[in-house]
Parts: sequence; C-alpha cells; structure tokens
Amino acid sequence: MNSVVVKSKEITLLEVLDRVLDKGVVISGDMVISVADVDLVYLKLKVLLSSVETIEKLRGSPFVGPMQEAR
Amino acid sequence: MKLYLYGIIDSSNQIEESIYGLEGTGVYNIPFCDIGAVVSEINQPIQEVTEGTVLEHEAVVEKLATDFTILPVRFQTIIDGRDNLLSMMQSYYKDFKDNLERLHNKLEFGIKVIWPADKIKENIIKTLKKGKQKNPESNNSQSKKFMTEKFEKYKIDKEFQTKADKFIKVMEIFFSKFAAEKKLRKLKTENLLLDAVYLVEKSQESNFREAFEHIKSGQPSLKYLFSGPWPAYNFVILSKQSGLLTDSQKTDLLDKVTQDQMLVGADSI
Repeated sequence: MNSVVVKSKEITLLEVLDRVLDKGVVISGDMVISVADVDLVYLKLKVLLSSVETIEKLRGSPFVGPMQEAR
Repeated sequence: MKLYLYGIIDSSNQIEESIYGLEGTGVYNIPFCDIGAVVSEINQPIQEVTEGTVLEHEAVVEKLATDFTILPVRFQTIIDGRDNLLSMMQSYYKDFKDNLERLHNKLEFGIKVIWPADKIKENIIKTLKKGKQKNPESNNSQSKKFMTEKFEKYKIDKEFQTKADKFIKVMEIFFSKFAAEKKLRKLKTENLLLDAVYLVEKSQESNFREAFEHIKSGQPSLKYLFSGPWPAYNFVILSKQSGLLTDSQKTDLLDKVTQDQMLVGADSI
C-alpha cells in the first residue's frame, strides 16, 4: 500500500472519529446506560482534529502542488 | 438485555441484509410507528474506545445509509432493554420523524481548507508598509508608539479576517446552488481557514463535486480536504422538547403503535 493511501486513510479515520464520537443523535435519559469515557476520548481527539499541524503531518506535503483528497 | 443503538431509520420493516455489529451479533430493526431503531444485543458497555469499535459502528451506519434515511446515533449509546427503547422512541418520535423527512435523500460532505497564515500575514504587512511610506508619521512618544503598534496589529488582523471572508464568500457562490444546508466555521485556527459541512441532495452530488473541483483549481495555493459522502451526522437537530411530550401527544403516539408492530419487533429477538 503506498503512503498516499495510508495518509488518506488516517485523515478519513479522523473524520470518522469526529462524527461517530461527537455528532449524530445524542439521547439523554435514565434509559440510556451512559459511558463517560467517550467524552474524555473525544476531548483529546478534538485537540488533534483542530490541529492543522496534524493534518499536515499526515499529508506530509508542503503548501504547493496538488491536493490529496481523503476519500 | 442491553441494546446497542446504531441509528433511527425511516422504516418499520426488518432489515433484509445480514449486518453484523459490535461483538459480532446480528443487527435488527425495532419498529415504532412508521420508523425504527436499529440495534444489536450487547452484553456489557464497551470498556475501551478503540479504532476497531468505532469503525464497526460506522460500518453499520454506512450500510444502513445505502437503503434507508438514517439518523446516526452517537457511539456507545446503549439502552437498557426493549421497553426503555420503545419509551425513548415515543419521547423522541416527532423529532426523529421531522429529521428523517428533512434529511431524506440527502448526503453530508466535509470540506476543510487550509491556508498558509504566516505567508498571508507577511503579505498584508508588506502591503500596509507600502501604504505607510507614502504617509510617514513621527512616533516619538512611548504612548504614541504603543498606540500605533496596537493599531497596526488591528489593521493586520482585520485584513486577515477580510481575506478569509472573501474566500468563503466565493466558495458560497459556488456551493449555495447545490447545498441544501451548511455549517461553516471560519478560522478555527489561524491555518484552518474553513471547516465546513454541507448537506447535499443526492441528485446534486456530482454538481457539488464539480463546484469543489472548480474552487480547488481556482485557488491552487490552498490545501483542501474533501470527505464524504457521509450519513448526515452534523445535521440532526433535536428540539428541546424531546422527552417532554404532552399527555395528549403521548396518547396519540401510543395509539399509533399497533399490537402487530410490537409483535414484529418481538419476533426478531
């Protein structure tokens, strides 16, 4: 597998984590068995997701030339 | 019995395709009126959030999205038993129904645009300096110097924001034709010029992609991260009234849940 594919997959994984851990329907109430760990994991991830440096590192390319798309 | 919830779909029928969820158990639909809650049975809450479990959750949602309109539910939503699940469906029914109708035949796309903030600011400073040379000022006093520096910084920041606004405005001209809804975040960090999600009609997908390619080729010095199509994770809007339906609304909804529907759901366990 070449490096571009690996990087694209890693970026996509960040996008997946952002959605699955933080977005979508949040159901509240006594009937839901809550697990606090998810919030904690997402808090750590949020820092990573906001970091352009992370995306840059995953892409490994300078500010010139063609862009790679994640998917 | 604990039920791991993946999403709410616009169908009360059973899922024809065999889908396996977390812990490798079968995924099935529990109907409520004309919609359904897609679940799998689980022994205990997942102790550790791993890449594998998150991807398994997403895989189920993606598979469902190919056949149904789905409201993806947040990872690790576990309901304690069928009765509690039906009670939850009753409380949220109107919200779920409204969202399913709004999101029918629509896809989500994510776009991140990265620009070289340092270079942009350097250029702004150069331009401002050029203007300043034409109107030289004497700044002898400390307070005047301080004020001038503050003002210079303000002008740089303002110009930086103006440039960001201009770029986003151009993007909007292209995307507004094809996107039904959008959520934009400008300058989340200095380098992350735009972090956006768009909701697009399935029939407009190719036009939307074309518009993106057009923007990309028009500004090749910027970096673009395009992702999607996704189920509409970012566009589910639940009202504050969820779970607080009036007694008459509750009675109406209970009437809609026929004995047959309850039995169809029970068979699948």
